[in-house]
Amino acid sequence: MASPEPHSRALPSAWTYSDGGNILQEAQEALENYKKKDGNKVVVRFKAVGNAPIMKQNFYKITASNRFQAVIQFLRKELGWKQGDPLFTYINLAFSPAPDDTVANLFKSFSTEGHLIVNYSTTAAWG
Amino acid sequence: MVEGSSEDEEDGDELPANSDRGLECYYIQAPRVSYLPLLVPEIKRYLHDVVFDEAAARLIKEEDWWFESEEGNLLKWHWPIGLIYDNHTISQSTRPNAVPSVFTPLRLILHLVSPPTEKLLLSPSADACKQAFMGQLKEADFIRWGNTKRMTGLRKAEQDGLWEGIKEHNFDEYWRVASKITPTTVPTRSNSPPPPPSTSLHTRPPSADPGSGGGPDRDGAASVRNVPVRIYLPDGPVLQDLVPPVLDDGSMHTLAAFLTARLPLLFPAPDSGKANLAYAIVQGVPAPPEAEMAWLGACMAGADGWVNVCVGLLREGARYP
Repeated sequence: MASPEPHSRALPSAWTYSDGGNILQEAQEALENYKKKDGNKVVVRFKAVGNAPIMKQNFYKITASNRFQAVIQFLRKELGWKQGDPLFTYINLAFSPAPDDTVANLFKSFSTEGHLIVNYSTTAAWG
Repeated sequence: MVEGSSEDEEDGDELPANSDRGLECYYIQAPRVSYLPLLVPEIKRYLHDVVFDEAAARLIKEEDWWFESEEGNLLKWHWPIGLIYDNHTISQSTRPNAVPSVFTPLRLILHLVSPPTEKLLLSPSADACKQAFMGQLKEADFIRWGNTKRMTGLRKAEQDGLWEGIKEHNFDEYWRVASKITPTTVPTRSNSPPPPPSTSLHTRPPSADPGSGGGPDRDGAASVRNVPVRIYLPDGPVLQDLVPPVLDDGSMHTLAAFLTARLPLLFPAPDSGKANLAYAIVQGVPAPPEAEMAWLGACMAGADGWVNVCVGLLREGARYP
């Protein structure tokens, strides 16, 4: 095992390895548990802001592993709006999540009373 | 700030005719706290000056550019470069034949055409990146305080100043504004060291948090409701959950406790007698398990407010801590 040079970015010598071995395999098996997609559904509540139309149905069960981008596309379809029509979405009237944030993560962090509030609007409100 | 290096290769098939193919490789030192769209102008200048002839240069459309790692992973425009680098490190940790973390440039492949827009989700413009950055700051603000008043309380020029600081790689310009919204560390409350002196010299506005009661700790790192943290596993997924600074029993929430609670198979409880199967890096540095989540949230977060914990796998003979 090489000892770390002062200016290199190598992990300290205690961390280097002699061969792949069983630990890596055990670690990979453990990792697989955390890669399983969450098939559960969570409740998303859509709330219109400003002049945006209110839908007949506002509560939907959405698969937790979906990305937020899928929620936006779903909302667009329910509203009957085309790809180019302006549609802005927010969580709790506060911020716009990254489109690849998962519904599971957003629900865990921001749900209130058992549902995740997604506000939608035709104009940019909270940026 | 720590700097990482990345090496860009252009995909030879996509270069316009008459391009100088011998110069397809370009080295760049990119700050951890920056974004791929901000590197595009420099790369474009290089391509125009050295690789393309005039006719070719006119054909190139930046909006069609996209990057992928040498393993074929699509790189995201809205991820900080440091995060992209750390993700590469942990990705390598899962491959039995890969060399362990010795400093090498991150090799990226730059494509000039046919962006997979459905997967990229964001346009490559610096402006889209700025919007995403602001969004992340607001989300972090909300996680900390239950509202975004600290962010929305900033004047537009101040908000823009945060992004300008990133663009210009100007630490002081960034912190001039960030000090108003980033939690402080209070030495009497925890055992962790305070942040660097330059951040504590700036004055803070009155607390925007209605329930804070105005006590001395109101902007303190341990007073946040939750710390904005994400866990990155090798080749995904990204996990996000509520991370309180203090546990129910009154003790400070440490990284060790956090990892054991979220990923018990990789970070077994100390009393189980089993060793860790993985390690955690934050901002490219192996993070001490005894580090307090509150302190990480104040001192080791990215410019967007988020603590990105990248988990890599250990091998035979290696230990964490």
